[in-house]
Amino acid sequence: MKLCIVFGILGCVALAAGQADSPMVPPAGPGVFTTKPLGQGTFRLVVTGHTFTSRSAIEKYLAYRAAQLTIEQGGQWFTFKEDRAKGETAVPAPARDPEGPRYSFRMKYFRPVWRYKANGSPAWTRWSPFSGEPFISVDPKSITDFEVSAEIVVHKGPMDDANPLAYEPWALSDLLVNQVSPPK
Amino acid sequence: MIKRALTVACIGVVAASCVHAAAWVKGYVVAFYDPAFRYGGRADYSRGAEIEPGVDCPHGSTTHFAIPAQVAESLSLVPWRTPKEVEALAHPSAAGLNRDRDGVYYATWRAASAYRGYNRDIETYINPFAAEDPGQPEVTSRIGEGFNLDGKIKPEDFVSPDGEKGIDNQLYRAWGCDAPWRGANGNGTLVLRSNDKMLEGLYTVVVRISGNKDPMNDDDATLEIGYSPDQIMKDARGNVGVDYSYRILKSGQYTKLKARIKDGVVETEQADIHMPEIAWFANQLRDAFFRQGKIRVVPNSDGTAAGLVGGYRDFRDLYTQNVFAQDGGQQGVREHEDHVALYYALRRHADGMLNARTGRYDGISSAYRMKLVPVFVVDPDKPMDIPVRDDTMRRTKAFDETAAAMIRAVDTLIPQEVPPGSGEAAVGRGGVPIPRGRGRIPANQARNNDDKVK
Repeated sequence: MKLCIVFGILGCVALAAGQADSPMVPPAGPGVFTTKPLGQGTFRLVVTGHTFTSRSAIEKYLAYRAAQLTIEQGGQWFTFKEDRAKGETAVPAPARDPEGPRYSFRMKYFRPVWRYKANGSPAWTRWSPFSGEPFISVDPKSITDFEVSAEIVVHKGPMDDANPLAYEPWALSDLLVNQVSPPK
Repeated sequence: MIKRALTVACIGVVAASCVHAAAWVKGYVVAFYDPAFRYGGRADYSRGAEIEPGVDCPHGSTTHFAIPAQVAESLSLVPWRTPKEVEALAHPSAAGLNRDRDGVYYATWRAASAYRGYNRDIETYINPFAAEDPGQPEVTSRIGEGFNLDGKIKPEDFVSPDGEKGIDNQLYRAWGCDAPWRGANGNGTLVLRSNDKMLEGLYTVVVRISGNKDPMNDDDATLEIGYSPDQIMKDARGNVGVDYSYRILKSGQYTKLKARIKDGVVETEQADIHMPEIAWFANQLRDAFFRQGKIRVVPNSDGTAAGLVGGYRDFRDLYTQNVFAQDGGQQGVREHEDHVALYYALRRHADGMLNARTGRYDGISSAYRMKLVPVFVVDPDKPMDIPVRDDTMRRTKAFDETAAAMIRAVDTLIPQEVPPGSGEAAVGRGGVPIPRGRGRIPANQARNNDDKVK
């Protein structure tokens, strides 16, 4: 019995030591990250917060969670579905390139849509990366709420790496794990 | 009369069986050794700026760090570089008198490429996971050499040139368009360089095949492969000479396999294989470890033979072997390859050695060609190990420590520092060129110098 306890303690110490060696993303507060299944392998991911830090930091957190969700779902890759409203064609959609270089991911095409409330206004304002408009022009300090969302499709099997919107979750997660933390 | 005939017949049968039961042995020295990448195109073909498009790579070989536009695109992925800075690095100023024999492009691009992580202190070649994927052209054809290592026929598998399906050679898929390893008849720059070094005495690989039945058909033969301490001997025309004697060492780079021979074609059992790795510097001399490996030897009519060795290789071994002989920036600019792209391609196509802890594959299926010249392969008088070369111990240590740092980095995802003495210390922290002639500065000192500049 004593021996079991000793081994148990040693095991816990070893586990803790092992965890200390690996980077960890802090857990998100309640309601900061939500995911909603929309159908076969399709999910809508939303990151919300009240303190705007930077576009890059928040979008990277969303991308990290997309990668983690894909891994949790047993998927080998995911595709990012662009959320283009009618008329949002100022920024062209990336084309398939069957003969071009292959990528594990392309961060530049992970372009989620934002909405935010600023200056005490109760109404949401939408910002789309496909509209051609510059990113949120109001003073970031005046933003009281923001929401960044993405729709992804989780896939199994070899990645369609000619698809510019395809992402390999492990590679993406490896890149981002040291860079992200949940917004507040 | 009948008795006499029977006696003669019996003697004949006994004699015949004696012939078939005689022990036999064949030896070969490896005269050419390269990754089994299949070019399949015409070397004299050119189309615009494309390099030798073959059936394997529609746009030819990689052109990383070859033109300013591509360098600008790669460096634009670095989050801490401003667009202005990227442009300046991609088009280094040629104003004034530049007496550096390496040229401004080489020195600037070599340094800038070595720091592409998510912050300016992360050295990229030791921590490739911390940089964005710059993209790698990959093999799109379906024909490839190798073995069906997993016994399955999968969509991503190749078909061998003689029609066998299910060929596992994802290293070819991942790296087959990489400039220094691609070309017709082994004319990739690093293929030529590594083979030149081997032929000039850097290392020697030998193969010994033996059995007790018919050398053309023997279901109980043995194949040995391993390191030889004897330098390859050449004939008067500079070709690898036949019938010289070489010792085979039962060292860490030696494997003995059961083999079957049918119509002269030798095929081994599937097992782990240790043998010398392709190298072009003494600090790279190490074991090539093939998991679930296999070897095939096909005899040619002139007494030579074509060898093929395949198996799953640890992607970390392949990466470190390719990048750390000198330094990643130097090799990248010189050979027009990008090791960050190669890293991602390896991981993307890894298909063996499932790591139960991470749930990811650590191995990638591979195949290597060997041109074999007939020689005598003998055991040394006394057991001996691979000789250690005193003159290269310092560089070997630096290589090993750099490789260990990279492996630790990708295993823990904690960015690692450049070990002292590493080739990667040839570039200042943040991608600052260190002028030639100042000697290699240890990592910590380079950092201090760089801090002073700031």
